[in-house]
Amino acid sequence: MTASRRLPLLLVPATLFLFVVYVWPSLGLFRNAFNEVGPTGAMVEAWSLETWRATLHDSFTIELTLNSLWLSSMATLIALCMAYPVSLFLFRTDSRFRGLLAVVAIMPMLVSGVVRVFGWLAILGDRGLVNTTLQSLGLITAPLRLVFNWTGVTIGLAESIMPYMILALLAGFGRLDRTLEEAARSLGASPWRTFWRVTLPLSLPAIALAAGLGFVLSMSAYITPKLLGGGRVFVLATEIFEQATTNTNWPVASVLAIYTLLLLLALLALSNLLARRLQR
Amino acid sequence: MSYLELSGLQKRYGNSVAVDDVSLAVEQGESVALLGPSGCGKTTTLRMLAGLIEPNRGTMTLDGSEITQLPAHKRNMGYVFQSYALFPHLSVARNIAFGLEERGVGRAEIAKRVEEALALVRLAGMEQRRPKELSGGQQQRVALARALVIQPSVLLLDESLSNLDAKLRDAMRHEIRSIQRSLGITTLLVTHDQVEALTMCDRIAVMHRGRIAQIGSAEDIYERPATRFVAEFVGRANVLPIQRDAQGRAAVWGQAVPVEAAANADLFVRPQRMRIVPASEPTGDGMARLTGRVLRSVFVGDHVEVLVEGAGGQLTVEMPSGMAAPTEGGEVAVVWPRAESRVFAREAP
Repeated sequence: MTASRRLPLLLVPATLFLFVVYVWPSLGLFRNAFNEVGPTGAMVEAWSLETWRATLHDSFTIELTLNSLWLSSMATLIALCMAYPVSLFLFRTDSRFRGLLAVVAIMPMLVSGVVRVFGWLAILGDRGLVNTTLQSLGLITAPLRLVFNWTGVTIGLAESIMPYMILALLAGFGRLDRTLEEAARSLGASPWRTFWRVTLPLSLPAIALAAGLGFVLSMSAYITPKLLGGGRVFVLATEIFEQATTNTNWPVASVLAIYTLLLLLALLALSNLLARRLQR
Repeated sequence: MSYLELSGLQKRYGNSVAVDDVSLAVEQGESVALLGPSGCGKTTTLRMLAGLIEPNRGTMTLDGSEITQLPAHKRNMGYVFQSYALFPHLSVARNIAFGLEERGVGRAEIAKRVEEALALVRLAGMEQRRPKELSGGQQQRVALARALVIQPSVLLLDESLSNLDAKLRDAMRHEIRSIQRSLGITTLLVTHDQVEALTMCDRIAVMHRGRIAQIGSAEDIYERPATRFVAEFVGRANVLPIQRDAQGRAAVWGQAVPVEAAANADLFVRPQRMRIVPASEPTGDGMARLTGRVLRSVFVGDHVEVLVEGAGGQLTVEMPSGMAAPTEGGEVAVVWPRAESRVFAREAP
């Protein structure tokens, strides 16, 4: 056997590992989605679409879906508005601190989600940094409700997806050639017009890529909505967890998990299509 | 006062000086080349003129008014970039229309002028193509049309032909030159290619280490190089170290030559100005002469290069290819008019 034909052998350990910890449970998940829940609440082996029918007809599922989509859209939008200028700066700067700045920008990735959430609690809580500062400045009398609601979750999510979006933007900026901006300037476009007519259109593929990634990460986020939502924020991810652990309702949890997966795949396909359109 | 004047321009990057002190006056309708090796500051000068970078010192005036502080988009300079810098997301027509749109020109007028510009660069019918669907030469023409359509005060060409293959480059040279002439547009061209500078420009400024070493017509630069650098960079030259013989006269290869004897200097003679004659032939009036042995002759198409070796060095003589090449190993005399001798001091290391 030649070396090149033996090459695929290198994939064997990872494949075996993933099969055991990922493929096998996924198949189990798939199987559970077609089981039923008996009158006692215990799972009954079956091949039925009853759980699907019940779950998809439940108005709560619709609400969860809309919540998830809205939350992810807002978090992605906010994160994009902050990540785009940062990425453009990092892409463009010839500062010798560029490497350091890039590390700082993606530093949140290196911190555990739970730790980050507690950080936000310390900042956004009733007696947190923001409220005490605003109160001591006399700008507000009662503390603003910034955590344990949608506001807190949106802020926390936006922050947690930002590093990933910065990396995605930097990767996607490939076509952004400085000379093109210089050409626009020499042709009479002001810096603002140059951004609008050249920089932004050429970075649309990168934006689509980053937004897609941020959105998927937001949809699947569990810790942030759970902890910063304080039990008042319900999204698909938190509900799946509730059903699987608190209610031990495996069929419903499985159906919701597959439903979320299909939703994400559809959205990814859409964003891919969009990105390819923009690339041309 | 000239139409375009650069005076005392300087650009530093940290400790390194890209452009040291450049002053240049260009008349309206004139075409001037900034010629020099990479890193001599020619592109930096052009970019300062376009307002793409700010000079540390110096001023620029255009048609009597100072433009040093004017932002790039208000300078009305037509810049053709080395990479063409066509907007990949816009069609050819929209690329050319870009500058007109930014000037608030009406739709009908834009359509008319885009069409004229495309006709000028012989690309009619390509309006709806995307830049990547065009060949290098076509992209080059679109870039030129885009820069010309705004009726710029000055056309700036930044190594604009260096990405084309040799044949196309030749054709484009003449094409751009004739467009430049017929429109009477003031042009500044940056190039490292002397043929480009010689064929496309009225005057040439040879740049070296951030300064203009010499400015003049192609003939001035070639026949009367002002510095050693110019003599070496433009055209070819035989560089022969000058010693002194026993009588204190200047000598090359131990043979007296009719030039001023200077310490640490070299004699420069163009290979085409030298002729090979039989060693027995006496030196003519006003001629200089060296004798040596023919090492080899190489046929290079339009001429023959003859390498002659003497005591202490070699030199090259270019002969028209019709003439009989001297036999290798034979003793010959190399002669040239005295007026063709130039002496330049050796640069301090």
